[in-house]
Amino acid sequence: MLKVSSQAEGLSERPGTPAPAPHSIPPRRAATTPPATDLLRWPVVGRLLRWRHARTLLQIPMFAVAVLMIAHGLFGPALAPKNLATTLTWVHFRGALVLVLLLAGNFFCMACPFMLARNLARRFVRPVRNWPRPLRNKWLSLALFVLVLFAYELFDLWASPWWTAWLVVAYFAGALLVDSLFRHAPFCKFVCPVGQFNFVASTVSPLEVKVRDLDVCTSCQTKDCIRGRRAEPQSPVVIQRGCELALFQPRKVGNLDCTFCLDCVQACPHDNVGILSRVPAEELTVDTLRSGVGRLSRRRDLSALAVVFTFGALLNAFGMVSPVYALQGWLAGVLGVRSEAPVLGVLFALALVVEPVVLLGAAGWLSLKWGGRRGALLPTVVRYSYALIPLGFGVWLSHYGFHFLTGLYTFIPVAQGALAGAGWPVLGEPLWQLAGLPERVVYPLELGLLGLGLLGSLLTAYRLAEDDAAAHPRRVFAAWASVCVLLWVSALWLLSQPMEMRGTFLGG
Amino acid sequence: MNKASRRCLRAFGALALSAGLFLAGCQRRVETRGDITVEHEIEPRPPRVGPARVTLRVADASGRPLGGARVRLEANMSHAGMRPVFADASELEPGRYQTELEFTMAGDWVVLVRLDLPDGRKIERQFDVKGVQSG
Repeated sequence: MLKVSSQAEGLSERPGTPAPAPHSIPPRRAATTPPATDLLRWPVVGRLLRWRHARTLLQIPMFAVAVLMIAHGLFGPALAPKNLATTLTWVHFRGALVLVLLLAGNFFCMACPFMLARNLARRFVRPVRNWPRPLRNKWLSLALFVLVLFAYELFDLWASPWWTAWLVVAYFAGALLVDSLFRHAPFCKFVCPVGQFNFVASTVSPLEVKVRDLDVCTSCQTKDCIRGRRAEPQSPVVIQRGCELALFQPRKVGNLDCTFCLDCVQACPHDNVGILSRVPAEELTVDTLRSGVGRLSRRRDLSALAVVFTFGALLNAFGMVSPVYALQGWLAGVLGVRSEAPVLGVLFALALVVEPVVLLGAAGWLSLKWGGRRGALLPTVVRYSYALIPLGFGVWLSHYGFHFLTGLYTFIPVAQGALAGAGWPVLGEPLWQLAGLPERVVYPLELGLLGLGLLGSLLTAYRLAEDDAAAHPRRVFAAWASVCVLLWVSALWLLSQPMEMRGTFLGG
Repeated sequence: MNKASRRCLRAFGALALSAGLFLAGCQRRVETRGDITVEHEIEPRPPRVGPARVTLRVADASGRPLGGARVRLEANMSHAGMRPVFADASELEPGRYQTELEFTMAGDWVVLVRLDLPDGRKIERQFDVKGVQSG
């Protein structure tokens, strides 16, 4: 029997434990869904995605756009609405990202331009080190995610083409540095804040890269999906790499940590991996051992990521409505400061630490008490925190979807202006009258997306409650449903506020 | 280095060169600094969502009013993704121009003033209108 740990070495099931032997493949939770549709078997799209260079084909235009954004951000107009860096990043990229996650899956990670540069660099630099064991979790990426949210508010990134361009440069530099020093794909799995956002959000996506027939895997001798395909069975030369994120397909559950790179599809000698349809968010109710991830209920780092994902969505939206300026002004008075950083620091601590601790702690305590269950509070909170993800995603969708849809066509005049500014006005004079859908059309969509998010969270919480407290599922559910409804009402209130795009407070 | 790597490097080089050419072309052809001063006044104060009257005083280095210019205003929000607002100003008296701008959303706005002077010079100035309040 071949050993399979070469690809998964250092990227274990749970941080600090060795990767399990993949020749023992436990059955997955019984499927409750109808037969899945396989995107890879669709006539045109499927053929294109199965092509060996499909990922590169998607990455090249994204890379070209990223280079243009950096160039325009650094050397183009300083005004955000006239610059490709700010327009494409904060209006189009974010909006398209969440919509693609909602309607399909993690295709933005698939088309990631940072990985194109990194793959090129790896032709010259072969890393030999493994990612440090203490960092094999989401804590670092979670801190970076919060840092990006904080920097977005503090430096008004939406209003600064220069800083936006440098942010993109920093992503490229980070990906190149980390993945040039360390083997496999530690940047995607343990560092990239956008990647973590995508991983969490893709748990509610309708598509998943997964095995078509588990029986085929049971009889598979080579496990190329994770080891990589070799020229000869015993050869050290890998001609098609397997999963760099340590997701062994037969034991993979859900979309967490999956970048849709399709390396497993290319490597599988049995053509047994597809992009299959599934019930969105159902994976959040499954607590089996997941390859490369472990059990959700034992991953405090992932739980914290889910919590910051949800409460961060509200905080990010709160930064765009007028009451935030009143609150900031009041906080500044209380703290006796004129600088924004300490005020924002307090706001972030309240929204991302104090509020979750109070709300989730209370819900966890009540669910234990009402459900007549014995158990520790923290594991209960960790388990149910994943139920917040659909609602959090609904808030991100409403927020980013608003900017995307109301500014849908704004890239056209900005691109026209960029070309005209470069002395090459081939697209004509900028058509500044082009904007996007009117707010009266977008607002009901926002409400609908938010409602879908609430529904997803309630269903997830109920499924978890059913599993945990067969005698009193409704009581346990009531505690968590209260939190979901409270957050949903907060989001509704935020959406009903007149938007105020300000980068200043205290008149400063 | 194998053939594929060389091809990749060439492609990246071509892309970088294109970006460089693009950058080289990004040059302003209007004067954004100089001896022309443009002072502005906005009513109502503080500015609110809706129509706002903008009055501009344009003068040369010696403070003499500059009349006969074509003055166009463009107001943008600080965030991308919003439609800009345009207005042409009319001259009330030599060097004093006035127009009405429609602030369509609360928040921070940036107003670009474009002047075509009688001597053919094109001048561009910019000022911020911070904290436009919702109606």
